[in-house]
This record gives sequence, structure tokens and C-alpha cells, in this order.
Amino acid sequence: MTDDKDVLRDVWFGRIPTCFTLCQDEITEREAEPYYLLLPRVSYLTLVTDKVKKHFQKVMRQEDISEIWFEYEGTPLKWHYPIGLLFDLLASSSALPWNITVHFKSFPEKDLLHCPSKDAIEAHFMSCMKEADALKHKSQVINEMQKKDHKQLWMGLQNDRFDQFWAINRKLMEYPAEENGFRYIPFRIYQTTTERPFIQKLFRPVAADGQLHTLGDLLKEVCPSAVDPEAAAVIHLYSQLKHPNHLHPRKLNNSSACSSKHDYKLFGAFLKG
Amino acid sequence: MEEDEFIGEKTFQRHCAEFIKHSQQIGDSWEWRPSKDCSDGYMCKIHFQIKNGSVMSHLGASTHGQTCLPMEEAFELPLDDCEVIETAAASEVIKYEYHVLYSCSYQVPVLYFRASFLDGRPLTLKDIWEGVHECYKTRLLQGPWDTITQQEHPILGQPFFVLHPCKTNEFMTPVLKNSQKINKNVNYITSWLSIVGPVVGLNLPLSYAKATSQDERNVD
Repeated sequence: MTDDKDVLRDVWFGRIPTCFTLCQDEITEREAEPYYLLLPRVSYLTLVTDKVKKHFQKVMRQEDISEIWFEYEGTPLKWHYPIGLLFDLLASSSALPWNITVHFKSFPEKDLLHCPSKDAIEAHFMSCMKEADALKHKSQVINEMQKKDHKQLWMGLQNDRFDQFWAINRKLMEYPAEENGFRYIPFRIYQTTTERPFIQKLFRPVAADGQLHTLGDLLKEVCPSAVDPEAAAVIHLYSQLKHPNHLHPRKLNNSSACSSKHDYKLFGAFLKG
Repeated sequence: MEEDEFIGEKTFQRHCAEFIKHSQQIGDSWEWRPSKDCSDGYMCKIHFQIKNGSVMSHLGASTHGQTCLPMEEAFELPLDDCEVIETAAASEVIKYEYHVLYSCSYQVPVLYFRASFLDGRPLTLKDIWEGVHECYKTRLLQGPWDTITQQEHPILGQPFFVLHPCKTNEFMTPVLKNSQKINKNVNYITSWLSIVGPVVGLNLPLSYAKATSQDERNVD
């Protein structure tokens, strides 16, 4: 059990050093200095960048400011994806710090969801938690919780409080003793090469013969091109890995997926439900 | 096996196919769009609405094989194909695009939609909430963030509004149980869409329900 707690803590406290620079096209009253920040992998851009926004707005006029949005090398960044996912998908092979460009105009309506308030982030986060529990427990566990428990999950994330979050989340990670695991494993495989943003399918943690499925089994079934050495797909998988040497959300490139000798017991998934 | 409010993906696709067959018969312009890799797909319909102050008139876009008509052509439709339109200085035309997708997490259909003015300007979440019919306003205001929000379309990857499936399950079960007592061959999509559609401005012509009953009588 101590192994698991270390893994959970490592995932939660993962950080990405980031440098925010204002887009050249933005109109400023004086030069805007870049802003440096350590971003939590498990959080969302619009939840953790209030200071970034304030920093740049100080050198701009009110009339030149509308909704903030972020971009990396020409790609608008989807604030509703966890920060760690965005980094792993788009920038993990580049040198640190992660260089993100900040915009306050020309919001890309066709690419990005609006983030009108913190309520929007909370709604999205809770929606993900609920969907994951629909897969794990037919929504029974999350629906039986009180509103204050839901609030605690959100406050834990918002305030970077591991214990506060996990006090509630551990209930979402339990399953009855007679079962070998959840009903289905919540997972998403993200690829940058396709129009479809991610692959998500029903996948049971236990095979018909009672054997626990491994990560390799899952990939073979839902994303066979991932184990093909010729394929260029980059996969990002959020999972809580039982194997003690593998710490946090892994990016598997095609070569590591097919040469991997390790059996990851597929035991839980989606840090945030 | 008695179906409750959940359906499998194959069943979903079968009901969509039957639904679209009837849509084609009455010129209602629903069509099936497969995903690029053809592993799944969704139902899609476009229609235009004229917002005239607080009164909404409908202009059904009868497509005859096309996805949508340019506005000029739509206005030239014979009068019995569309309702009489009241134009006023403040009227605006809004293009609605509705998608019906299957959610394997909830094992139910989910209604996605987007809306924009003819110049391409999208409607905001606030616009959408304000546009919800009075009958459903109270329900919406109890928890707007749980009901209609903006989300990424799971197949197209673009921003859409979505009617949350966990909310719709609440009212689907009693309706389905009752309708199955009356008519075992009820088309799931017809029942579901006739309940959730009106919340977001999508109304089903009565003939969909009649079509199903008709088939049943013919079988007998």
C-alpha cells in the first residue's frame, strides 16, 4: 500500500517549468516581460494562470483585453485537457522550460472551448469524474456522495491539497471484495495525428478466464497501431500503475510500447476518476 | 431481455438507421455521418431558426440530399414546406446543427449541438441558456452547469454544446417503461429525442411516433 501512496503523490505533485510570453501581436503600453511558473501536471491551464493573466494585463489597456488563451508553436492549447497531457502530447521532446504564448484577442472559436469562469472548469472536472465513475461503478459511488464531497474533490484540486482530494477520491477507487476490479477501466488514448481527439472504448480489467488484463492487452485491443513499430502515433495514457518503478502518467512511444517487457496490472485509471 | 434506459452501441446504430429512414420519407433532413476511420459515427441535422424578439418561428430546411440550403433557396420553398415567417427589424437567423452520438460510458445517446448567426458568429453559452424554452428554464436554472455546457465533440474534436446525459437518464426511464407497455417496437431514438430535443429547440414531427405504431399494426 505504501508503494501506491508514493505513486499517487508523485503523480499529484508533478510539475512542468513553463515560460509564458505575450504574443507579439498584442498591443501593449510597455514591454511585457516573460513570466515563469511551475505548472501542476494534474490541473488545468485556466485554473492556475491567474497570476500570468494579471502580469500581462498590467501592461495592456482594458479595451485591448478579452478572453485569455494559450498557444504552443501555433497550436491553441485546450484548457480542458490536464496540463501534463498537453505537455506530453505537444512538447515533451523539446527542451525545458515549456514555452507557451499568451493571447488576449482573436479567440479561436473553432478550436477552443470558452472558459467564462471557474465554474466552467469545475463543471468540466466534475463531468470527467462522473463519467469515470459511470464506467467503474455505474455511477453508484459518485451519486451516493453528498454535494459537499463533490465540492471537496474540486477544492482539493483547486488548492493543490492531496489529502483533501484523496480523502474522497479513494472511495471512487474502491471495488467490492468479490470483484477483481472495476466494471470497466476509464482510459483515453490521445493522438495528435487524427481528427478524433482520443480513443475511448469499453474495456474490462479482468479477462473471461479471470486473468487481470495488462496495459499491453488494452493497447492491443483498442489501439493496435500503437504496437506497430512503423506507426507514428504518440500515446498518452493516464493510469495508476501497480509496478513500483513506473511513476506517473506515461507517454508511450511506438518503440517502448512494443519492446516493453513489463506487465502493468491494469488496476485503476484516470487519476482524477 | 427487457431494455431499460441503457442501450448497446449496435442497438443505437440500428435505431438511428430506422429513424433516418423515416426522416428521409418526410424530408426531415437527418443523416448519418460515419467517422473518418469509419469505426463509428453520428446522426446529424441542420436547421435554421429566426429569432424575432422573444418569438421563435421555425424554418425547416428540406434538404433533398444536401446537408443544408443557402438561405435564399430556403426562403423560396413553397409555403406549405415552411411556416409563415414574421420578419421584424430585430430578427436574426440562427443556424443550429444537432448531432446525436453514442456514449459508451453512459450507454445512452447524447445530444450535441452548435449554433451560429449566418455571419459565422457563434452563440455563447449564455445565449444558449437564455434561449432554453420557458418550460425547461426552472429545471435548467437549478443546475445550469450540470445541464448544458460546452464540450469537445468526441469525434470531430471541435467545440459543441452538449445536453448532459446523466441528467437525461432521470426522465428517460419512466417514459421508456411506459411506452414499452404500449408499443414494444418503440424506436429508442424517437422516444429519447422527443424528450431531450425540445429543451434545446429541436422538435420532432408527430409522424415519427406514428410511423413506429404503423409498423406494429402492419406486423399484427
